[in-house]
Amino acid sequence: MAHYDLIIIGSGPGGYIAAQRAGNLGKSVLLIEKDHLGGVCTNKGCIPTKSLLNSAKTYEHAKNGAFIGVETTDITFNVKTAMAHKQETVETLRGGIEFLMKSAQVETIFGEARALDAHHVEVNGTTYECSYLIVATGSSPVIPPIPGAELPHVVTSDEILELTELPSSLVIIGGGVIGLEFASFFSMIGVQVTIIEMLDEILPMAEAEAAKLARRAMKNVTFNLGSTVTKITPTSVFYTTNKGEEKEIAAPMVLMSVGRKPNLSGLEALGLAVKRGAVVVDEQLRTSLPTVYAIGDVNGKSLLAHSASRMADVAVSTIFGSGQKMRYNAIPWVVYSNPEIAGCGLTEAEAVKQGIPVIAHSAQGRQSGRFLAEQGKRAPGLVKVIAHKESGVILGIHLLGPYSSEIIWGVSAILEAELRIQDLKEIVFPHPSVAELIKDVVFALDSSV
Amino acid sequence: MAEQVLMPKQGNTVESCIIVEWNVNVGDTVAVGDILLSAETDKSTIDVESTASGVVLARLYEEGDDVPVMEPILVVGEAGETFEVEKKEEVKTASAPVVEEVVAPPPPVQPVVSSSASGASPRARMLSEQLGVPLTAATPTGPKGRIVEHDVLALAGEPLSPAAKKVALAEGILPPATGSGMGGRVLARDVEAPVTSGDLSAYTDIPVRGVRKVIARRMVESLQTTSQLSLHAWADARALKSLRAAFKADEETAGITIGDLVNFAVIHALKEFPAFNSHYLGETIRLFDHVHLGVATDTPKGLMVPVLHGADLMSLRQISEHTKILAKRARDGVAQPDELSGSTFSVSNVGAFGIEAFTPVLNIPEVAILGVGTIALKPISTSTGVEFIDHIGLSLTMDHQAVDGADAARFLRFLMDTIANLDSLLIRMGSNGTL
Repeated sequence: MAHYDLIIIGSGPGGYIAAQRAGNLGKSVLLIEKDHLGGVCTNKGCIPTKSLLNSAKTYEHAKNGAFIGVETTDITFNVKTAMAHKQETVETLRGGIEFLMKSAQVETIFGEARALDAHHVEVNGTTYECSYLIVATGSSPVIPPIPGAELPHVVTSDEILELTELPSSLVIIGGGVIGLEFASFFSMIGVQVTIIEMLDEILPMAEAEAAKLARRAMKNVTFNLGSTVTKITPTSVFYTTNKGEEKEIAAPMVLMSVGRKPNLSGLEALGLAVKRGAVVVDEQLRTSLPTVYAIGDVNGKSLLAHSASRMADVAVSTIFGSGQKMRYNAIPWVVYSNPEIAGCGLTEAEAVKQGIPVIAHSAQGRQSGRFLAEQGKRAPGLVKVIAHKESGVILGIHLLGPYSSEIIWGVSAILEAELRIQDLKEIVFPHPSVAELIKDVVFALDSSV
Repeated sequence: MAEQVLMPKQGNTVESCIIVEWNVNVGDTVAVGDILLSAETDKSTIDVESTASGVVLARLYEEGDDVPVMEPILVVGEAGETFEVEKKEEVKTASAPVVEEVVAPPPPVQPVVSSSASGASPRARMLSEQLGVPLTAATPTGPKGRIVEHDVLALAGEPLSPAAKKVALAEGILPPATGSGMGGRVLARDVEAPVTSGDLSAYTDIPVRGVRKVIARRMVESLQTTSQLSLHAWADARALKSLRAAFKADEETAGITIGDLVNFAVIHALKEFPAFNSHYLGETIRLFDHVHLGVATDTPKGLMVPVLHGADLMSLRQISEHTKILAKRARDGVAQPDELSGSTFSVSNVGAFGIEAFTPVLNIPEVAILGVGTIALKPISTSTGVEFIDHIGLSLTMDHQAVDGADAARFLRFLMDTIANLDSLLIRMGSNGTL
């Protein structure tokens, strides 16, 4: 029986990073994937949606460029070409991961994995043995038990990425990150989009101000907040508003994006401790079995690709190296909608809820020279800084507007270093840049020098 | 004029006390009666009160030091006063006393940051600010007890975040060597509270000190220096139960418990078997004329063993009353060291928890200890068949260095018979025994 130092089930941004790290340490590694290398992120998530959103944003900017002197006629959006570019991107990246696995001397096999015990995994009828096992099986879209949810025109993020023709209109159930990105994409290319969200605001992890501005900026999307879907028929979606009104909306296509659930299939024999449908792990990603680790969506701690990759580093360092620990307070998140929304750390509301004495301040995008020059004075933009009232430690920074996705990593560094208002004042930002607004807000919080 | 505060005398048996925790710092103002420190004897922990008023000029011993009783521990006087201390090293050192001149620091501006900052070199002070290592945490190795750069550097670990540095310096807390931030960076929360862990590996560290430390030391010492052997038996408990029922009915004797009755029987048995009422001292075995019975007592601070001195001279009622008083004093934390020492044989009673038998650990240098278990029905073969009769569990641990197994078996057999016939024994002894 083939023996490996490490077997990894799942090759998403958790699994393949773990494989690469362990392989580069000279360990024998077997990576098992049931579909394509790269998992949901590369094939059905982060990457394809970024490709499509960029196509749509370029189209949108071209259409609306007259105010800065760009005039176009006969501009069209070719969904087939956009999909083809997306596919090419995905396949190139897949090839890239394949190359990375080869250079790290990671063995890769394709098939459904079934863990027999903590040290044995069966794939395609063959049993492989390992000293350590990392479970990185990811998550799948949740289909809530709504009557009609099983109808063929009700799709998830998996299927909607394979569209070849656009629907005339789209109803999206769920106003989280996935729902919002697809709403942004489809509304930019002319599809009439309606979001039905159970909560009173979209994006629960975002600053309320930012969520509200984002909603207003997405003019071609209808938002029905505080509403619960009761039934789906082949032509309509029925929902109840928080005032108790029964409503119906025509829906030739419905996107279900209410959340994701950990993939536990194939792990049954391990008998891992599971809480709320997710594998229980400690701060070093150890499960209830000491040689079995669970990273990424499957442990339900933070359902983000980059969280999974960080968990991979922590798990591999715990098994073979220095034994790092997971920290969740400085993980950034991004919605690549138009406009982009990003955040890292606590919102003001969360901080208050935790009983932390806070000071917070925000600035509008147009206060930045670069923002004004490029977006004009009507475009929505926001920078909000939340800090501890007594120590001045930065607790969170939230952004709305272009470049937010590329600025937010700096906030991770600020939070990881536990910088305070007075420390941030000493950091030099490039001028002109949108990021400069962070410094302006910091001085607005405390004008002393 | 500076005054010295001495480590007080703790009864007749205590020669020295270990300082567990200081409650005052140099520069603090103290009054007569203020608690200066907590110290542990080999039996318990005590609070030491100040016998002088003024500003603390010097602490002559640090936490963990073993200080002989009647030895100066603290100098109190006026701020800025010059004084001389004659400090003996620990008991074991016989060399000439060291005389050092110490200049008392000026009164502190902030009470939190100890005034020892003035006893630090400028480089040490700069490094302290830079690294976030409070000067109060440093052990001075420089001339005249000054803190030098090296003393601060010795405490430095991973870098501190700006916020952590501020907390450490302002609160005078020594930051941990590694923290929970990236690359082991020390964050504010690591300084404010110990690092806590996630779900599965979560734990809490409790420092072992005070009574717990005394118990730990004595238990290990007991198991390492003796040859312990335990015998288990059941004694007919019908007499115990009927006596208890009878005593309960009378207000005068209502406080006499099963435990008191067993202790009474034990004392009686020890008079018959003096080898078990003794101390094993290595070169000699000391047999005691009288029985000083240790009664293991569960207290909020941990296990304590108050001692019934001269228990063989007490009546049953006196045994019962004294046991209650001593146990309450131990539980309330006011028992004096003399009340907790000098036992010649101990009894540990866990019958109330339903325990049948266990292996009690010797309270050294005693040579035996009796564990008392619960009362339970046992099937006994009699002339008419099988009867279920109440029995009480007895576990005798003895030191095989001092006595042999057969001796212990004979002693336990005698005790079983004494317990089984306790009613007739009491009748024989008449009112002398009971009252």
